[in-house]
Amino acid sequence: MASHGVSRPAVAAVKSEQARRQELAEIEKYKSLSELVNKKKAENDLSLDALDLTTKLVSLNPEYYTLWNYRRLILLRLFEQEQGNGGSTGSEATDALSPRQQVVEELITADLQFLIPLFFKNPKCYWLWNHRDWLLQQAQAQLPPVTALKLWQGELSLVGKMLSLDSRNFHGWGYRRTVIAKLEQLQDTNMAESEFEYTTKVIKASLSNFSAWHYRGNLIPRLLDSCQADSTTRRKRLNDEFKFIEQALWTDPYDQSLWGYHQLLILNIVPTAGRQSFVSDLTNSERLDLLEREFKGTRDLLEGAEKCKWIYQALLQYAELYLELDASNRLFTTQDLRHWLDQLKELDTLRTGRWNDLEKKLNL
Amino acid sequence: MSLVAGPGRGGLGDGQFSQNPKLCVDKHVAYIQSLDQRRDELDYWLTEHLRVSGIYWGLTALHLLGHPDALPRDDLLKYIISCFCDDGGFGAAPGHDSHMLYTLSAVQVLVTLDALEEFEQQIPRGKDKIGRFIADLQNRESGTFAGDRWGEEDTRFMFAGLLALSLLHLKHLVDIDKCVQYVKSCQNFDGAYGVSPGAESHSARVYTCVGTLALAGRLDAADTDALAGWLSERQLPNGGLNGRPEKLEDVCYSWWVLSSMAMIGRLHWIDKDRLTSFIFQCQDPENGGIADRPGDMVDVFHTHFGLAGLSLLGQPGLAEVDPTYCMPKQVVERVLNG
Repeated sequence: MASHGVSRPAVAAVKSEQARRQELAEIEKYKSLSELVNKKKAENDLSLDALDLTTKLVSLNPEYYTLWNYRRLILLRLFEQEQGNGGSTGSEATDALSPRQQVVEELITADLQFLIPLFFKNPKCYWLWNHRDWLLQQAQAQLPPVTALKLWQGELSLVGKMLSLDSRNFHGWGYRRTVIAKLEQLQDTNMAESEFEYTTKVIKASLSNFSAWHYRGNLIPRLLDSCQADSTTRRKRLNDEFKFIEQALWTDPYDQSLWGYHQLLILNIVPTAGRQSFVSDLTNSERLDLLEREFKGTRDLLEGAEKCKWIYQALLQYAELYLELDASNRLFTTQDLRHWLDQLKELDTLRTGRWNDLEKKLNL
Repeated sequence: MSLVAGPGRGGLGDGQFSQNPKLCVDKHVAYIQSLDQRRDELDYWLTEHLRVSGIYWGLTALHLLGHPDALPRDDLLKYIISCFCDDGGFGAAPGHDSHMLYTLSAVQVLVTLDALEEFEQQIPRGKDKIGRFIADLQNRESGTFAGDRWGEEDTRFMFAGLLALSLLHLKHLVDIDKCVQYVKSCQNFDGAYGVSPGAESHSARVYTCVGTLALAGRLDAADTDALAGWLSERQLPNGGLNGRPEKLEDVCYSWWVLSSMAMIGRLHWIDKDRLTSFIFQCQDPENGGIADRPGDMVDVFHTHFGLAGLSLLGQPGLAEVDPTYCMPKQVVERVLNG
């Protein structure tokens, strides 16, 4: 869309005559191809030749969304033509492909393949994901389930590859959720456990991958529900997760991704309105014990990290939650709160207005 | 008419930015005016799919800069109308298919130019046609919106649809309660919003969700303090804002983040001076325009969102921007109250 992260040359770039001529030639080439494709489109030419022309043009400019629309119209016509040629004689109910379906499968597979190098070149282009999604929907509508499943399984390895290249790619993580949901539906299974393991692997490779922590947090309730976990298992999961994140926090208390996950777990101890905990039957005294433990653990982190604003922020947030559960507070004094807030104000001058508001709210 | 292509050429190297930077109003005006004259650059042709939005970005930036008439009004209007499609939507350029994103940009431009009547003279019942196009893209079960007839759904399209309908006084054509429900389902534990239920929080998605709530008159549905806390953490030591934890700063987030904070009344939770100074340093002081980060190529998208951000920060010399509509406040007031 816009030029993100393209360096500006230090010296005003003056194009050489040769570079200028070359650019003009490229413009001519692009314009004439574009005119030709638009002419075909205006004539409603839905032939294989027209498809090939869109291939050329969209390779030069994958953001040209109208071309993807045109391409889909052509593909739909080609699917239909094959239907008209006969061959769809009841075999669609079985796993074997009818001649028509073979052609449809070839067209879809070829287009899925065509998209792959474009993805790696333009990982943030919405239209590519959009078109891919459409192709797979068509596969599901037009092909036997087992063939569609095979295609979706291919997607899982593609998205794995994409995320290994850019582990925070927004589209990549979103697409992973789509693929998993589809595979679960087609196979009537629950993949929460293997996905959970996947997040462990990704997090161990890079602790600060918040996308993976986020995904993990969302998987836990599904994982527990899928195996109809009893209350002991649920408590164990909560404790295991706290252990996992605390280890990470000791490694790097300055990493906000980790605090995000810690906060998510804390909110499972003290669920807020409208949000359910994955351990829904905690008693009030269990809540207090857990919160107390985590509060103390957080406080311990200060040792050697006295300048870490995240710790003060967490202490103040958890203190507020604690006060809501137990107004008779033995865990910290008003003086503690005052001290933490002062530290925060000193360390985090970007958000002075926020800490001033908090000061008023806590009545300090 | 193109206001998209052409990142500023040249400019200054690192280290030459920070000496007493100020807002280069005239340079930005000249930069935007120059954008339509760059047909000898390949980028001009490769960005045709953004033309209508480019006009919206450029025109809005000029209004904020106090030069609303710096582009020929008749040409803009003619161009926008030439992008109208039979189905009631607008394409990005003549001959391009209609899409929600460009329909919103076109409506924003028509409204900013105060040209809805002229539009209807040329396209009888044009406003109703646009309203119908948008309303037909709502999924009546989930409340979500598709971007076009091909069906990709996204909170961007929900917000864009509501925004355009609001400018046309046609919000009643869609189910707004369903929109609010869907926004709620996109809310994460951190109070912020992702692109769909379960997706990680992202500043630009926060803008579309909070904007939807604002248009629905349901900002009470947001978890204000948690959300504002998350948004405030987007500011990095260099003053710039990022889109998600542990990502790089970028001028366009000055808009997505700030506008959301303004809508929920928490603009004071970040350091305005340091953000202002960051945006200033992203200017090309020689050729005009604003880039994503200091030292990068400028473009009209970042120029627009940088200026809109500065306007929210109260920058003297800039017209006030409306945080929900991302249009000059004066224009929005004229339309909504007129």
